[in-house]
Amino acid sequence: MNRLRAVLAVLAMLIVPASAAPLERAALAADLCGDGAAQARGSERVVQAATDASTDELAAAGRLLAALAERRLACGSEGALILDRAGAAEGHDALTGATRPVAEARAPVLGLRQRALVETARAAVALLTGESVAARAAGLATLERRAGAVPDTILARAQAAETDPGLRGSIAGAAQAAALSSPDPDKRRAAVAAVAAAPSGAALARLRALRSEPAAAADLAFAQALDVGIASVERAVRIGDGLAILYNGLSFASILFMAAAGLAIIFGLMGVINLAQGEFIMLGAYATFGVQEAFRRLAPSLLDLYLIAAIPVAFAAAALVGIVLEALVLRHLYRRPLMSLLATWAVSLFLVNLVRVAVGTQNLQFAMPPYVSGGAPLYADFVVTWNRLFAILFAAATLALTLLVLRRTPLGLDIRAVTQNRDMAACLGLPTRRIDRLAFGLGSGLAGLAGVALCPIYSVNPGMGSGFVIDAFMVVVLGGVGSLMGTLVAALGIGGANVLIEPLSGAVAAKVIVLVGIILFLQRRPEGLFAARRRR
Amino acid sequence: MAHLTRRGFVGSAALLAAPAIVRPAFAADTVKLGCLFSSSGTMANIEGRLNHVVRMAADEINGRGGVSGRTIEVLTSDPASDWPLYAQIGRQMLQQEKVAALFGCWTSVSRKSVLPVVEQNDGLLFYPLHFEGDENSKNVVYVNSPPASSVLPAVDYLMGPDGVGAKRFFMIGSDYVWPRTINKQLKGYWKSKGIPESAWREEYVPFGFSNFQTLVNQVRSFASQPGGQPIVVLTVVGSSIPDFLREFANQGIAATDVPILGLDMVEADLEGLDTAKLVGHLNCWAYLQAAKGERNQKFLADWAAYVKAKNVPFSADTVIDPMVSAYDSVHLWALAAAKAGSFAVPEVRKAFAGLSFADPSGYTLTMTGENNYVSRGVFIGSVNEKRGFDVLWQSPDAPKPVPFSPYG
Repeated sequence: MNRLRAVLAVLAMLIVPASAAPLERAALAADLCGDGAAQARGSERVVQAATDASTDELAAAGRLLAALAERRLACGSEGALILDRAGAAEGHDALTGATRPVAEARAPVLGLRQRALVETARAAVALLTGESVAARAAGLATLERRAGAVPDTILARAQAAETDPGLRGSIAGAAQAAALSSPDPDKRRAAVAAVAAAPSGAALARLRALRSEPAAAADLAFAQALDVGIASVERAVRIGDGLAILYNGLSFASILFMAAAGLAIIFGLMGVINLAQGEFIMLGAYATFGVQEAFRRLAPSLLDLYLIAAIPVAFAAAALVGIVLEALVLRHLYRRPLMSLLATWAVSLFLVNLVRVAVGTQNLQFAMPPYVSGGAPLYADFVVTWNRLFAILFAAATLALTLLVLRRTPLGLDIRAVTQNRDMAACLGLPTRRIDRLAFGLGSGLAGLAGVALCPIYSVNPGMGSGFVIDAFMVVVLGGVGSLMGTLVAALGIGGANVLIEPLSGAVAAKVIVLVGIILFLQRRPEGLFAARRRR
Repeated sequence: MAHLTRRGFVGSAALLAAPAIVRPAFAADTVKLGCLFSSSGTMANIEGRLNHVVRMAADEINGRGGVSGRTIEVLTSDPASDWPLYAQIGRQMLQQEKVAALFGCWTSVSRKSVLPVVEQNDGLLFYPLHFEGDENSKNVVYVNSPPASSVLPAVDYLMGPDGVGAKRFFMIGSDYVWPRTINKQLKGYWKSKGIPESAWREEYVPFGFSNFQTLVNQVRSFASQPGGQPIVVLTVVGSSIPDFLREFANQGIAATDVPILGLDMVEADLEGLDTAKLVGHLNCWAYLQAAKGERNQKFLADWAAYVKAKNVPFSADTVIDPMVSAYDSVHLWALAAAKAGSFAVPEVRKAFAGLSFADPSGYTLTMTGENNYVSRGVFIGSVNEKRGFDVLWQSPDAPKPVPFSPYG
């Protein structure tokens, strides 16, 4: 039956020339329910008809396309059904809107090629009929990515109909850029300027391809315009790439710093090699998950804010576990570093397995608020991803607060005193044991904060902490034991070096080269970058 | 509570840290099977669940009266994603526990490390992962597909008119034997199709790598160069997969711009991700959770019931190919042992010829006497919004496996 419909649709196409074909809904539904070729034809037909079809027709076509892309289109012998959600038991008839049970209908899966065509058609429909400016702008953005896939008449129609002045300007720019191979030399030159105004690697490739075509050789002015355009895009792309390297380095450094900050205090103050530091990060992440679940139950409307609310909770949870660990285990092992190393390793295994038994090993499912998912192209090919920006800002805030605590509070003064000379501090009446405990709590709490910052970036599971310990120690030792600024500089250095070397020699070699560099540096300067002056 | 002395604590710490935890068991009328799947380390999240599937299959067989009147007893272990430890525990299981067969390994590097052990002791290792091929030991049963019946059909699909007509390829893999061999074979394959060397790029990352910003930037600039439709062939493993996918989506690359063919990507890797922006990326396996048929429905229901009954710490509604392959492995072994009327490895091996088993994927698995490979069907899956894969394409029948690749 389906096949019969498809054949009929093909016959209809043969009789009526494609360009004049109105957007007949039944034929479109039959096409979209057909095989890959029919789906491609259907979506192309929407694009072709978009210049002339009425907005109602287009909106109906858009609903069909959306249903197909989201697997909400059910195709049965009685025609296509649009479901409210994938897998629903009943849906609305694509033609009449009447509610019918799905019964034996199948939901076609889009192939990749068809998916791209459907996306283009949906974008054209969205640009012309989108309710909000954002929806229309998203449509335009997709169409711009597929340069040459749509007739420029669509852009002309959208420009005429657009009410938002900003978006109208963008559409005009896109229309100008689409005229790269127009026969009119003025239009072509304007197109080059328009393409160069929005520089990207793709724009560069387009201009370079045009430069090598015979048309450029024939038209000297056009060739000159192209050369100017290529030069400016090249420069912009290079700047964009530089910004990307800077951003990547900063982002990696922020992660390293977050993982190492707590350790800098614990290792610096007490000389305890805390192998459970990674597990404190994991606990922080699980605390964040707990806060998210609590929000989901108690205040679903505020769910987007759970990451912020999790900050004190994660800090407190990790700090509490740290203090308990110090009181139960480490207190007894202060004069025996090897034992404390083994004991903290045991604690780390214990925590991993505890979480595994209590929660399970699967990656936790986080609802990512908009401020930590996706990204925005900032300049040329440089994309700012929100989750990384969140981590960078988070790390900066943590640094500022920790410095404030260490430099401006009585607790910070005590911690610094004990770090510099434990015995003398004790002689002067400082309760060193209590300070140890508080400092250990502070260090673990900082690791818990790292857990919050890492939730939007990494997968959260019981084993996530193990990867951080080595990196954190590397940063702390390189920075100089007990110096927070040293930790910061070392994190920036290692992060930057990794990001710089990676494109040249690959991620594996980058790691090796950085490690060798650190070893050589520590041989020359065993006390690290910033050595805290101290007496033992 | 007993007083906790320092010495006692360190002792228990050392015990906790001791890696090889093989649980011994002694019973007269049982036959032992050993598992080599990690419950810790970078592979834990996906490998760990295979222990439970082997148990479930054994319970199923025991419920029907066992094999030749004997009850199956499953020994599990934790090789901790530490490749040499797989060999050490495997040797222990074969020599001390006298297991009749081993079921284990996910990464090829762990299989390669167990290989000499099973060959020296004439053991039998059932390996449930699709892999790079180029190996044919009489002591390993390759339950999943070599590249000729998994990767190549998927790459063909992407290069063909039904796919995207892929012309250029960005290969990203973890740095070990499986990705390197697969990529070598792919390059040979592309060369044989007349594709120039400039059309591909190859990058490797360490195990457990998660900072994919720079690599995704490189993919974007590779994609913007001229020369035709690019795709990413992803052979990173473990926790690197979700981390890569997240960065890819966040940088705004859609499957319709640059599709990813994730060769080790399973339903479990999508846990915790927002897949709305990943819809359309592909994988290829011998089983997908969305496979049609009653056998699959029954398997899914059985697993959900098992998870509930035994309080298994894994998702009840996620089933991945290696789980089904591990389940098939136990059944294949049981069928062969029953047919041979013996648990001795040479006898069981002889019984493989002509064995067939209708598994949850909907295909019928068959083995010939020629080698220890198993014929499996081929699925190409497409990521959907619900953190699963839709079946985009599946082979009409189960192709005969080709152990050695002609492409390098």
